[in-house]
Amino acid sequence: MTHSAWHIRLQTFLTSVRRMFAHKPKALVGTLAGSLVVGSCARNASQDTWQPKGPNAEIIDNLQQPIFAVAGIVGLIVAAAVVYCVIKFKDRGQPIPEQTHGKPALEITLTIIPALILAVVAVFTFGVIFKLAKTDDTEMIINVTGQQWWWEYDYPVQTELGIVQPIITSGQLVMPVGTKVLLRITSRDVIHSYWIPALNGKRDAVPGRVQTLRLEADEPGIYAGQCTEFCGLSHANMRMETIALSKEDFATWVANQQSKYVAPAEETLAKQGESVFLNQCVRCHQVNGLTRADGTPAIAAPDESVWSGAAPNLTHLMSRNTFAGAMFDLVSKQCRDEVWHATSDVFGAKYLAGVKEECLNQKDLRAWLRNAPAVKPMYSNPTQLEATGGKYRGMPYLALSEDDINKLVAYLLTLK
Amino acid sequence: MFSAGFKYFIGLTLLSVVALIMSIVVLDQVALAGTALSMLIVASALLTGLLVVTRDGDTQRPQSASTSEVPGQSMWPLVASIGAVFLVVGLVTSSVVFFGGVVVLIAALAEWMVQSWSERASSDAGYNSVVRKRLLNPIEFPVLAALGLGVVIFSFSRIMLSVDRSTGASLFIVFGALVIIGGTLFAIKPDIKRSLGAAICVFGALGIVAGGIAGSSFGLREELVKARSEGHFSHPECGAERSKYFDKNATGTLSLRSSINATIEFVNGQLTARVVGFSKPQKSITVPRSTPTNIIFRNLETDEFRLVADLGEKSDTGTYGDTEKILVCTQMTVAGGEQELTLQIEKPSSSGYSYNLTVAGVEGQRIEVVVP
Ligand code: HEC
Ligand SMILES: [Cu+2]
Repeated sequence: MTHSAWHIRLQTFLTSVRRMFAHKPKALVGTLAGSLVVGSCARNASQDTWQPKGPNAEIIDNLQQPIFAVAGIVGLIVAAAVVYCVIKFKDRGQPIPEQTHGKPALEITLTIIPALILAVVAVFTFGVIFKLAKTDDTEMIINVTGQQWWWEYDYPVQTELGIVQPIITSGQLVMPVGTKVLLRITSRDVIHSYWIPALNGKRDAVPGRVQTLRLEADEPGIYAGQCTEFCGLSHANMRMETIALSKEDFATWVANQQSKYVAPAEETLAKQGESVFLNQCVRCHQVNGLTRADGTPAIAAPDESVWSGAAPNLTHLMSRNTFAGAMFDLVSKQCRDEVWHATSDVFGAKYLAGVKEECLNQKDLRAWLRNAPAVKPMYSNPTQLEATGGKYRGMPYLALSEDDINKLVAYLLTLK
Repeated sequence: MFSAGFKYFIGLTLLSVVALIMSIVVLDQVALAGTALSMLIVASALLTGLLVVTRDGDTQRPQSASTSEVPGQSMWPLVASIGAVFLVVGLVTSSVVFFGGVVVLIAALAEWMVQSWSERASSDAGYNSVVRKRLLNPIEFPVLAALGLGVVIFSFSRIMLSVDRSTGASLFIVFGALVIIGGTLFAIKPDIKRSLGAAICVFGALGIVAGGIAGSSFGLREELVKARSEGHFSHPECGAERSKYFDKNATGTLSLRSSINATIEFVNGQLTARVVGFSKPQKSITVPRSTPTNIIFRNLETDEFRLVADLGEKSDTGTYGDTEKILVCTQMTVAGGEQELTLQIEKPSSSGYSYNLTVAGVEGQRIEVVVP
């Protein structure tokens, strides 16, 4: 839509709204208040800060509820006082009362009371800050790296947890329930911020710095979040999900992530897809274990064409059910609902089933391969690359034929 | 005295000058915006001038007809012509001189204009000078103050660069103390003569400027001269330490302490990594690919050591497919000292190369750097 078209639409809309309320200021107030109330009523909002699902978020919640109450009461008192004064001392033509300056007793009281309230709040707040900053009780570490516009997760070797070689994935962070996980967060390009409201507060991802964030989930399930530091064009599409699995399910997930690469069988569509992948995609995307025709390992070099120096590792693409910064589902709506709404006892099994062919969200995946920047705003047009020395921010348009896309989809489906 | 119209147009002129400067600084291409803004400047300046000349219908004060016709003395024509000379000389010599000339010329013309305008403001010379001051002092004072402070600060920095490090620290303390003491005195004795205060400030400033001139004729202190000639901030090789002048006490300058990837400790002949979140010392650290990663080397031995990061190989451009090792190292770190090192590794460990941290001259101790 062109600029002017937007403009006209907006104006028409505003005019009609104005007309609606022109003679009914009460209606306006009512509507505003109504939408506020309705907006706060969403029961199953997945990013609701008032519904903690783990001890860290609980600590925050226990602090924020009473403070919110105190602030609410103070707010009400102030509002009531203002309204009282406005009505009581309305100008009815009465003479202006005698003007005085200074009233020490009153001023001191009005300074001390808020100071006391703030002091009490501060004591509890500091307690919470220190609790949330603890790192010495960590049971598991996950490195989190942000870049425009997706998150990468890598799991350092932790033999007690069955991680004997580093695991790398993106979009969905998978962790065991009831485990004190410590995220070590950094960034490859600009500042991002990691936030899973149900599990903890926010933590900035700053290039060159490693900042920690505790995460622990009580129940298996999916916990959604999104980047909360404006980071450029597709900031709004930089989402993430945390998947909590029971300890057994997590062990299964870990084992699968470390499984060896299995090349597709000869003479299949997938095998042809593998060679398209080697030609078109491997310069950015790593698939661990993938070899070239001459047997040498295919090592991606995203640093040569992507500004952040990274592109998602696709080795086990089909083990996650979102892609492109969790902006798109990798599974169809129906299959997705089955996972999201699964009860916690069967959730793990549903999630671990991965993406089967009949569940694949063909539409979005194909649209992505056909022309990624058309479905997620990214800098890939050569004229936009001056500032980054010719490097892309995001995945570029690759001008693939439909034939190649068919092959690629068949191949990607083998990356379990 | 200043009509609303005058204020409006002078404001518009100044604003468009600022906008023009901003657009030159910020935009790559200023062609269109530059032309438009220049035209705006010319037009609004013209209108401002007109309003000044016609006094914009100001009838409150006696008109210039009744003022004395003899203009007072002015130094501005002289300054303006000096500026013009600089401008012309700058055209053939250097752009610094040219822009200096432009600035002097503009400043002098503005002062000149306001002066002659204010002289005709009324028949009352005292009032005229008040008018002039009211218009120009808010600009003159901050500019002169900034210039004066700049000269003093620059001179002070010359002093600090020429004296040795410990003298520098003492000087800093002494100067700081003098300023605090002076300030306190003025604060508790506000009735001190103004001329006395001014004299102290002027002499202090002159002293620093003189020190600065002496300092810069003296030259940089020895370490800085050496460091400059040896490329202090680049590490062209990780061989023997090249100079005793390198800063081995970087401990005091580490600002990253809290947010590093790992601290590598060398103690009792053992090299271990402390990683936030792992309770036990580690023998490997995990570093995300293509990500600038800071680590600290902490030398708890009794000798000097340096940490060496072996970051793989790059193929030579030569015809034989030779490869060259990529090594990065800290400087020599004194016993008990710390040094920071930034790593960035583009290829994963699965590319077949193992990345390592070692201590130069120590066998058998290494920390593996894993790149997933
Ligand atoms: C120039 C580098 C580049 C090339 C070439 C490239 N991609 Fe990408 N790709 C990216 C980047 C960067 C992203 C992350 C974009 C985002 O989410 O914002 C991405 C994301 C993806 C994703 C989503 C992964 C996830 O976990 O979120 C898939 C699937 C994908 N690419 C497939 C392919 C395929 C198949 C090819 C080859 C036809 C290919 N890409 C070629 C850079 C590239
Ligand atoms: Cu972001």
